[in-house]
Amino acid sequence: MPELEVKGKKLKLDEDGFLQDWEEWDEEVAEALAKDTRFGPAIELTEEHWKIIKYIREYFLKYGVAPPIRMLVKFCKKEVNPNCDLQYIYKLFPQGPAKDACRIAGLPKPTGCV
Amino acid sequence: MTKEVGIKDISKPSKQLIKLRLEDLMKLPPPYDKPGEEPPLTEPKEEWRERYITELDGYIAIDIPFDKPKNKDEEQRLVQRFLEGLKKLLDKENNWTFLQPLLLSLEYCAKCQTCNEACPIYLASGRKEIYRPTYRSEVLRRIWKKYLTPAGKIFGKFVSGDIELNWYTIARLAELAYRCTLCRRCTQVCPIGVDNGLIAHEIRKLFSQEMGVAPKPLHELGTVQQLKVGSSTALTPEGFKDIIEFIEDDIKERTGKNIKIPVDEKGADILLIHNAGEYLSWPENPAAFAIIFEEAGISWTLSSELVGYDAVNYGVWYDDVQLARIAMKHVEVARKLDVNRIVVGECGHAHKALCVVADRILVDEYNIPRESCMPILWDIVRKKKLNLDPEKNNFPVTLHDPCNMVRLMGIVEPQRKILREICPQFREMEPHGVYNYCCGGGSGFAIMTSMNFPEWRNKVATRMKFKQILTAFQDCIDPSIKKYVCAPCSNCKGAIRDMLDHYQATMKCGIYYGGLVELIVNAMVDIEEPFIEMF
Repeated sequence: MPELEVKGKKLKLDEDGFLQDWEEWDEEVAEALAKDTRFGPAIELTEEHWKIIKYIREYFLKYGVAPPIRMLVKFCKKEVNPNCDLQYIYKLFPQGPAKDACRIAGLPKPTGCV
Repeated sequence: MTKEVGIKDISKPSKQLIKLRLEDLMKLPPPYDKPGEEPPLTEPKEEWRERYITELDGYIAIDIPFDKPKNKDEEQRLVQRFLEGLKKLLDKENNWTFLQPLLLSLEYCAKCQTCNEACPIYLASGRKEIYRPTYRSEVLRRIWKKYLTPAGKIFGKFVSGDIELNWYTIARLAELAYRCTLCRRCTQVCPIGVDNGLIAHEIRKLFSQEMGVAPKPLHELGTVQQLKVGSSTALTPEGFKDIIEFIEDDIKERTGKNIKIPVDEKGADILLIHNAGEYLSWPENPAAFAIIFEEAGISWTLSSELVGYDAVNYGVWYDDVQLARIAMKHVEVARKLDVNRIVVGECGHAHKALCVVADRILVDEYNIPRESCMPILWDIVRKKKLNLDPEKNNFPVTLHDPCNMVRLMGIVEPQRKILREICPQFREMEPHGVYNYCCGGGSGFAIMTSMNFPEWRNKVATRMKFKQILTAFQDCIDPSIKKYVCAPCSNCKGAIRDMLDHYQATMKCGIYYGGLVELIVNAMVDIEEPFIEMF
């Protein structure tokens, strides 16, 4: 299985680059996940990225899932940028909210008919 | 040309039985008829080859490690376990669902090959031998005859045809069971009713129930997670309630309507169960249901109990035990709420699981009526319980038929009667209704997204549907004309979303997708802003 080295510690990823154990996540892990080019283009995390990552992470800790995309877009409009829509989120996270934003936020890969 | 692959080749050691090539795949209509319009095929990563089964076609559906036996003894034990499982499939005590059709299908196939031309995967692949509906069935049939019938044990290949049961055969067969969407179009055209789709299903069952081999999204993260957490999406009851609140606010914002979505209301007429994927990926769908049911004065409720807010039952694709557990939970929730009936939302496989297959276990007090949402929706539209203006839907619309609603259950007319009433530019795909083609996401494929499986789905499994969609819109294929594929099923929507993304068809052809209820709400006279947001 792929691994990610952060602070000398080897973290396990699944074959699609998602953290195997969501509890191992912290901000340094997020930076490392964002820089990893094995599962998509590298992303330079800006303040806008962080707002989204933290929102997703908090929602996940509360409810066990990523927020619905519609909810995420609403949050972004309010807290990130008034012009934010789904396309804007794709500009920040080129592979989309699931493959990039959730992955960098340390969530498990989304499951079910989503 | 590569050499044709025969049945017995499945047992032969080789790196990969076949390799797909873009130029062999079924041709697509414009604008995809020119080279370079679709993404190329990729090679599996070398490290995948060590851990997973890439020996079939290089694609991986079984995303759990499937170790090669280290020696003859280990291989023999694997063979024995497989044969034990096969015996159970053929045994009355152990196969309470499909024993008879399985036996009939194994015994009576006349090998006329009529079914092949009905199979979207076989055709889309450019007629690859291993994807014939009869190929995997014949492999299983030969194993059964050679190893489990008295004649086969004595006379070997003279009665069974040649086949060797070894690691290669077993591993490739496990993958091959996941190269069929269980759409059962092959069954429909068979002159004597042989069900090759069922055989694929029974092979999956053998692997899951006997050998613990099933794709993670179906089993570990699917049925197991659903029974434990409440939903295969991992959505908890608290999360569900949070999203319901969000949907109520969203409805208010978009339509001005104050709608209180009934949750856990005892004694309602209908318990409506949606695929929980809707809440996370398409909350406008449950929102539209709520608007329609409230406006039409229906007595209904949702449930926030574990499993009660997720209609999915992935067991129907691979494991009868898991199927039964989930179906029982659905009915228990309905009994507690004391409703008259369960209505399944826009989810095809949940229709099959709850309305059809679960019939075998839901007897006596558990036999609560279980229905499709389609006739109810048509009834609401037909009786003009809503004020609808078709002009609001004046854009090209086509309808994708979920296999489980049309071919399996014969629910064909309500959905298109609605569209004929409210979409002036509605046009059918050809063929449609009970002769429809699968979206390519059936039987779990839409949610199996590990490694390179989505590539196989997009290139092969959904190719026929993509061709149909493009053909239906050829007169308006210009991207400036926005058009809508109505797909009243969560799985189909997922597959179509990924297909449009893979081929960049929204950008190149202006194709959007969504459910049926969204179109109904979009046509409501008293809602000012378009409910469907492609515009």
